[in-house]
Amino acid sequence: MSEFYKIGIDVGGTNTDAALLCDSEVVALVKVPTNHNDLLSSTMQALHKVLDHYEGKDPLQLHLSTTLSTNAIVEGRGAPANVVAVPGPGVNLKSLEFPFPILELGGYMDHRGREVSPLDLHQIAGLRKALGEDEARALAIVGKFSQRNPSHEQRLKAELSKWHRGFISMGHRLSGRSNFPRRIVTTYLNASIAQHQLDFLGVWKDVDRAPLGEILILKADGGTMNLEDSAERPIESILSGPAASIMGVKALSLCQEKNYVIVDIGGTTTDLAAVVGGEALFERDGATISGYKTLVPAFLVRSIGLGGDSALTYEEGQGITIGPRRSGTPVCLGGEQLTPTDAAVALGLACLGSQEKARQGWQRWGATLGVDGSSLARRVLQAFTRQLRQAVDAFYEELENMPLYTIQELLHPPELRPTAVVGLGAPAPIFIPALGEDLDLPWEVLSFSAGANAIGAAAARATVGVTLRADTERGSVTIPEMGYQREIHRPLFFSIEKARQLAEEKTREYANFRGYDATGEVYIVEEESFQMVRGFRTVGQTHMVRTQLRPEVHRVRGRTK
Amino acid sequence: MTEVGLVFFPAFDWAISHDHPERQERLLYTRDQIQEEGLFDHPSIREYRPRLATDEEILRTHVVLPSLHHTVAESHRIAAGGTIVASDLVIDGLVKHAFALLRPPGHHANRIVHGSRGFCVLNNEAIMVDHLRHRLGADLKVAIVDTDAHHADGTQDIFYNDPGVLHISLHQDGRTLYPGTGFTSERGGPGAYGQTVNIPLPPGTGDEGMLMVMERVVLPILKEWKPDYVINAAGQDNHFSDPITNMSFSAQGYAKLTELLSPDLVVLEGGYSIESALPYINVGLLLALAGLDYSKVQEPVQRLDREKQTKSLTEQVVRVCDEVIDFWQHRSEVKLEEVFGAGSLFQRQRQIYYDTDNIYESQQEYIRLCSDCAGWRVIYTSSTKARDLVGVVLLPWKPCQACSVEAREQQGELLADQRFSQVICVDPAANLHQV
Repeated sequence: MSEFYKIGIDVGGTNTDAALLCDSEVVALVKVPTNHNDLLSSTMQALHKVLDHYEGKDPLQLHLSTTLSTNAIVEGRGAPANVVAVPGPGVNLKSLEFPFPILELGGYMDHRGREVSPLDLHQIAGLRKALGEDEARALAIVGKFSQRNPSHEQRLKAELSKWHRGFISMGHRLSGRSNFPRRIVTTYLNASIAQHQLDFLGVWKDVDRAPLGEILILKADGGTMNLEDSAERPIESILSGPAASIMGVKALSLCQEKNYVIVDIGGTTTDLAAVVGGEALFERDGATISGYKTLVPAFLVRSIGLGGDSALTYEEGQGITIGPRRSGTPVCLGGEQLTPTDAAVALGLACLGSQEKARQGWQRWGATLGVDGSSLARRVLQAFTRQLRQAVDAFYEELENMPLYTIQELLHPPELRPTAVVGLGAPAPIFIPALGEDLDLPWEVLSFSAGANAIGAAAARATVGVTLRADTERGSVTIPEMGYQREIHRPLFFSIEKARQLAEEKTREYANFRGYDATGEVYIVEEESFQMVRGFRTVGQTHMVRTQLRPEVHRVRGRTK
Repeated sequence: MTEVGLVFFPAFDWAISHDHPERQERLLYTRDQIQEEGLFDHPSIREYRPRLATDEEILRTHVVLPSLHHTVAESHRIAAGGTIVASDLVIDGLVKHAFALLRPPGHHANRIVHGSRGFCVLNNEAIMVDHLRHRLGADLKVAIVDTDAHHADGTQDIFYNDPGVLHISLHQDGRTLYPGTGFTSERGGPGAYGQTVNIPLPPGTGDEGMLMVMERVVLPILKEWKPDYVINAAGQDNHFSDPITNMSFSAQGYAKLTELLSPDLVVLEGGYSIESALPYINVGLLLALAGLDYSKVQEPVQRLDREKQTKSLTEQVVRVCDEVIDFWQHRSEVKLEEVFGAGSLFQRQRQIYYDTDNIYESQQEYIRLCSDCAGWRVIYTSSTKARDLVGVVLLPWKPCQACSVEAREQQGELLADQRFSQVICVDPAANLHQV
């Protein structure tokens, strides 16, 4: 059997990591500093550097976790996009103060996807003028309850496509979840960064791709998507960095526990994620980015301002506090201000730069406080562990307060607390053992902990999910992501089993359509089923099935070939 | 501080029976609407999880027969616990207002509970009031404004002789709807006379009438009585589309009422127009409570013209308002002995029907007429479910020395009396529930 090579690249805030995998083994792991002014150049640099280790001839797959979309949004560099919304009655959109203008159109879809009043066609005629001269400006079309009945969005797109020449994004295609403000934001951002993504894809078209085969983009949910998809749904590529780390843990960790906490320690921040029952938890509604609440499926990650390069402050009575600000370069590397990294270096727990410089640094600071330099360094490490532990506790407290809607769940809430700690990131070997001891839990520092994100990106596989909703009284079944809406022929027989079956079938169809391997297992992520009773008579049922085609991540052995 | 704490618990796995109005589906569309409107993650609103009320928290308010374990289900404990979570949020200053949007409801549950009445077993508002007093002291003054279409007879029963509570109930006239009580003449016991305020409204009363009652009666009374906390028992069955009542209130009306009342705490009561009313009333109510724009909230099906409040109906509402406010203003002139008789004891007998569980209860009640406190009460109760006679001795939240001593003597006498299978003594201020 021929060997299967893959490259994973994760563009981080400080470094760009690249990993070359051959089947389940790591062939090479390289690191270059991220060039913030020209992300592409540092990405290419990492790519070429890792390709030096490739001796095969077959085209190899490239998995890219870029910060391109994330940065475009965070730095407000998205292109202006027009938003046309069909809000119907309810919360006044103007009161929500979106940071972009919204054109509101008449029409009313209710919570079961019944059209209460049709789209205001007269207003459509006037839209061209209202949207301005620019016929190519990206457009977001969003209706309230469009996930229950997308026909208003579809009709609007058909009408506007008659003259509009640019990118059009419809809300229901991006998510089957309920939340109109989030749908507006998600669709707007998707439209706004579409051109960035196209430019990015254009560059890759021109690049000499000789040894490269398929290029896939990493998503916030840890799955990959192909370039065609990423052009349609660029918003899904946000926050792929934390997702890459989590995928790295799934690929590399030897942890056998069902519940564990993932602690990804970086230079500036530490990211926490929770694995429960073997799966990393997801955000309830979707990712939040730069204050924008979206419906983009994403791992639940909490970031704290605590890292190897965090600034230290000393206050009388308070002791030492670490972060949340980042200090400059550590003293051991010639910097001015001591950092937690310097503490580890001075105490011989890490090898970086000059141990002597670090030692002198602690002695100088210790002298002003009247304590011995190395004991001060030890106190800094203790303070780091303490703060990390507090953050882990706060994180689980937050998880344990998530709303629950059934008596069974409330009486027997799922056990979330971790029984192990899995750490990654360059400073992980220094801090994870102490954290594990403090929490009284077994711990693991990932092999390749400094490049696990790139390995995670390489090991990730395509994910596809749909939301099926059947309303047997209305006699309709909808899958918004696919724009699918059909009548149910024999509503009486449309049971939850039938809904599950159809959802699975459609998930595979959707995966095939988008060009993915559809042979993996289709999981039911969420499910709801209610009897509808009117006047003491059962008139129908409503089923909701949310699926995910989720192939197992490629397991990677913790050693180099 | 967050504007609104929302304790949402739709109990998606619980029903009285599968086609009962209190079924799994009841808050489904409300959940869908709040979620779609994005209110669960609106910066002014924060969602909280309920918890189970403890035995102690329930027994501070209720006497449950034959036993707590036998009569109270987990669903009831969660609804009551959710209201306690809501009150803690407000007491602790985490939120300005809290809304316990949960089921099952509670306002038909009396002090003594033999089973379920009007879909209610535990009185959520009453447990909330007693929790507030337990945390903040017996001097606390709490007003309950019950806007459910049904008379809040359970809440009235519990606070009927309680000077720390002002209970105002706006409801469809008892001559035309369950439970058939709540007339203006029901004004409270000798220890809290005038603090039970009933405002029966003619069937068909709409926004105009409801808001008129708020402006002419409820708000002036609250302004004068100066409660520390205002609770709105927010039944939503006064909506024009409700299948089991005949009122004509709208989502806009409810939001306006909420804005006028600005209650510290809101608890969902009834409301069974689960698709056409609840989603919109609750969105309007949440927005109004959070001080947000609710002007665009609107039901998909509009009120028919014939359902709008007629002029003659408005005149009837004006008459009710006049009668209630007139009595309120002159309540201190009432000679209590003319109402409750002279002597040391007031006595009454009652038959109480539990419609949901089909139980008849008989009560014989004695209230000590005391000039220093609300007076102890003794209730003999028996029911078709548990035929044994049970004696209950109740102390007020602020008993005088003499009443405390006498209540103990009463307890002793009942214990010595062979007729009683059980004697229960409740002293809420001392957190005592003695069986």
